[in-house]
Amino acid sequence: MIPFVAKRLWNGFLTLAALATLTFFVMRLAPGGPFSRNRKISPEVQANIEAAFHLDEPVYQQFARYIWGILRGDLGPSTRFRDYSVNDLIAAGLPTSLTIGFWAILVAALVGIALGLAGALRRNGWTDYAAGAVGVIGIAIPIFIIGPLMQAYFSVYLGWLPVGGWNDGWRSLILPVLVLALPNIAYISRLTRSSTIEVLRENHVRTARAKGIGPARVLLGHAMTGALLPVIAYLGPASAALITGSILIETVFALPGIGRFFVDAALNRDYPLVMGITLVYGGFLIIFNIMTDLVRGWLDPRIRHEG
Amino acid sequence: MKADLPKLRSAASVQFSRFSANRMAMISVWLLALTVALCFLGPYAFPFTAEDADFDNISAGVDLFSIHPFGTDDYGRDLLIRVLEGGQVSLMIGFLGALVAGVIGVLYGAVAGFAGGRTDNIMMRFVEVLYGFPYVILVILLSLLLGGGTLALFTALVFTLWLTPAVIVRAQAQSLSRREFIEAARAGGMTSWQIVTQHIVPNTISLVIVYGSLLVPEVILSESFLSFLGIGIKEPQASWGNLIQIGTSQMATDLRLLLLPGTLLALVLFCLNFIADGLRDAFDPNEH
Amino acid sequence: MDCETPLTQMNTNLLSLHDLSVHFAHGGGQTTVVDRVSLTLGAGEVLGIVGESGSGKSQLLFALMGLLASNGNATGHALFDGQDLLSLPTKALDRVRGASLSMIFQDPMTALNPYKRIGDQLAEGLIHHQGLPRAAALAEASRMLDRVRIPDAPRAARRYPHEFSGGMRQRVMIAMALLVKPKLLLADEPTTALDVTIQAQVLDLMLEIAHETGTAIILVTHDLGVVARICDRVAVLYGGRIMEEGPAETMLSDPRHPYARGLLATTPRLEAAITPRLPTIPGAPRSGGAMLPSCPFAPRCSDKMPACDHMPPLRDIGPERRLACHLEPAP
Repeated sequence: MIPFVAKRLWNGFLTLAALATLTFFVMRLAPGGPFSRNRKISPEVQANIEAAFHLDEPVYQQFARYIWGILRGDLGPSTRFRDYSVNDLIAAGLPTSLTIGFWAILVAALVGIALGLAGALRRNGWTDYAAGAVGVIGIAIPIFIIGPLMQAYFSVYLGWLPVGGWNDGWRSLILPVLVLALPNIAYISRLTRSSTIEVLRENHVRTARAKGIGPARVLLGHAMTGALLPVIAYLGPASAALITGSILIETVFALPGIGRFFVDAALNRDYPLVMGITLVYGGFLIIFNIMTDLVRGWLDPRIRHEG
Repeated sequence: MKADLPKLRSAASVQFSRFSANRMAMISVWLLALTVALCFLGPYAFPFTAEDADFDNISAGVDLFSIHPFGTDDYGRDLLIRVLEGGQVSLMIGFLGALVAGVIGVLYGAVAGFAGGRTDNIMMRFVEVLYGFPYVILVILLSLLLGGGTLALFTALVFTLWLTPAVIVRAQAQSLSRREFIEAARAGGMTSWQIVTQHIVPNTISLVIVYGSLLVPEVILSESFLSFLGIGIKEPQASWGNLIQIGTSQMATDLRLLLLPGTLLALVLFCLNFIADGLRDAFDPNEH
Repeated sequence: MDCETPLTQMNTNLLSLHDLSVHFAHGGGQTTVVDRVSLTLGAGEVLGIVGESGSGKSQLLFALMGLLASNGNATGHALFDGQDLLSLPTKALDRVRGASLSMIFQDPMTALNPYKRIGDQLAEGLIHHQGLPRAAALAEASRMLDRVRIPDAPRAARRYPHEFSGGMRQRVMIAMALLVKPKLLLADEPTTALDVTIQAQVLDLMLEIAHETGTAIILVTHDLGVVARICDRVAVLYGGRIMEEGPAETMLSDPRHPYARGLLATTPRLEAAITPRLPTIPGAPRSGGAMLPSCPFAPRCSDKMPACDHMPPLRDIGPERRLACHLEPAP
């Protein structure tokens, strides 16, 4: 188990280091500095600003400063929101993003697995067709279409829920979480359905049925693990999809999360903020992938022993 | 090699008949063909382009029998033409992007799988590291690096999407390179590059078609997603993504600006997904 | 009627099959893989069912266990211990299978759950059927693992299937099937997937333990060498029908049915495990819904005669011997 974890941690570290390096150089090489839009500033002011953000130093020095900052957990000042550091902004936006992401993945996993199981156990029953329909909708209609449509119906037309924002407690959560969960529900239910059908045909499940322990135990004790392994493996990449989704969701529903900050920073060339959020996303993705691997290793001794 | 041809043909015809027996997939093919034809030919039926403003008909409503059947936006530009021309951009990026990403991925994977050893190790480690990146973030960063715009977006999308075909083809190439006919080709004096392009790549075609067909909707979705955020294709150039964005901002007063491009995009994604499913079932019936 | 034994008389037997048929529905059609099989088995008896692949012998066992694929359907009667296995609802069947009726499957590589420790997989049946506490069941399981000669049984019980070889896994399966001390063990080609050198060991082990617990065995195999070594009685199955049946000794030394003779002739040395080289005939198992009236072996039979267009019933042809062939006149 220890080499299994160590290998994944090391890979995660490599990825993060590569991500930090790539982000830094992409941002340095990208055309147009953060202040090039303000034509009116005098050369002295420009020089002052550049000095304040260390843009006058040679690139390798900036890189060293940046890496040193990351190691100390200091992501530097934001160039757009001058009074805030990147750390402040991430600290302000992360709770919103995490709350939505957490609920969305929870809803997606529970509903997706339930729909997939129902479909697999009662093939061609009404739940199977319902799940199929949800699957098609979730995959073919992108978040940025279904989100606005739900806003138009539930918020503008029916007036049940807030159109957007973060000031109505749990009612602010419902639409964003639902819309973000939908494509994942679609994917997870399809995956669960096909893997359950496949597992139920496996020989070891037949052995379990031959033991006479009853259908419930056969399903929960013997078929479930194999059926859920692919689903768990998908949750790693799903967290990446969730990042994509949260960027859209936060834009559509005007939520103060790091996804919206990221788009804003990218459009305004706020290098430090872009880099900071990229690292946060990368870190989460890596942690999530490692956790996924650990759960798979915990469930499947063959993965665990392989290392 | 000649002797293999009839066998190949019959396999292909089996796959074709299996695909054409899939009703949803066939309906999707026709619907998609219709949409493509509409997007590329439709605009010629009108005496104006998507950029032409009709100042007499600003924000005209839906009137199917007028010159602007779906009305105009608040610049007086014809909505239908804009959506169709936006479709041209989205579809072109989707198909071209998938094609280019597919070709790069196939070659990369074939070379890595065929070479094996250290070359393979280094090449795949690179892919692994890129895989660990948050995909959207990478696209956004790259398209910023390249200065934004259509070409930058295209390059960024291709750069992030060749990974999956590379991994799939590499596994296939690895098992192929151990087969006798590769040994024979090598003994016959073919260069490594000839073997890769003439033996390895053709033998991975069916896999590539299946996964390539999944790339198309992915590219289209990513393009419209980024254009929606304002990072991809920008006004006045229309694309489904930025049209939907405009539609969203005016949703409270006029839902049709959202519905028209949204419906077309959803339709295309819907068709592409069913086609991809059909192809997978046709080429790889064991999967199901 | 194929079977002349009246139903009432069967009840003294542990298992009596009466006109058991298995059909599979697919694409509007129906295939019959087991065709009106009638058999009896006494307590502690070892019956070999011999036939080529596709003769329906495995499906016969699956039908008894209620394990047919979802498009499969079994008709007829299978009286086991006073209950008709074929008409029992799942709940009642679950009180029988895994308790007084166990099964060993053909492929030990896939028959065990890869995610559970083998000790737990063994103990599961004891806990469920006999209400043993987990610790006691595990102790019992590890004792049984030792009994099937798995080295270091207490530690082995904590291992997972993938850590064992095929032969070891099949020992685990045997331990699992016999741990509950069933009255009847169904063994579906238990050694086919194993290395030739260990087939005999594994079979002997199975037989040894079954004798201790007084368990009867139905052993499905295509290997006449195995039958000769361990079976009391043999039934030869072809195209889903019983061709000939009788005590192993007399049947193997003096087979009457052309197919049985063919099988025996293609097995040069009884001690070696060699698959009969008879090619499977095209078209069998029969399909198309209706059961054909002709003898399924007729197309390949060297003694074919016009009467073979009608399959003769199984008839007694001597002490405990039955035959379904026109060659042998009724005594």
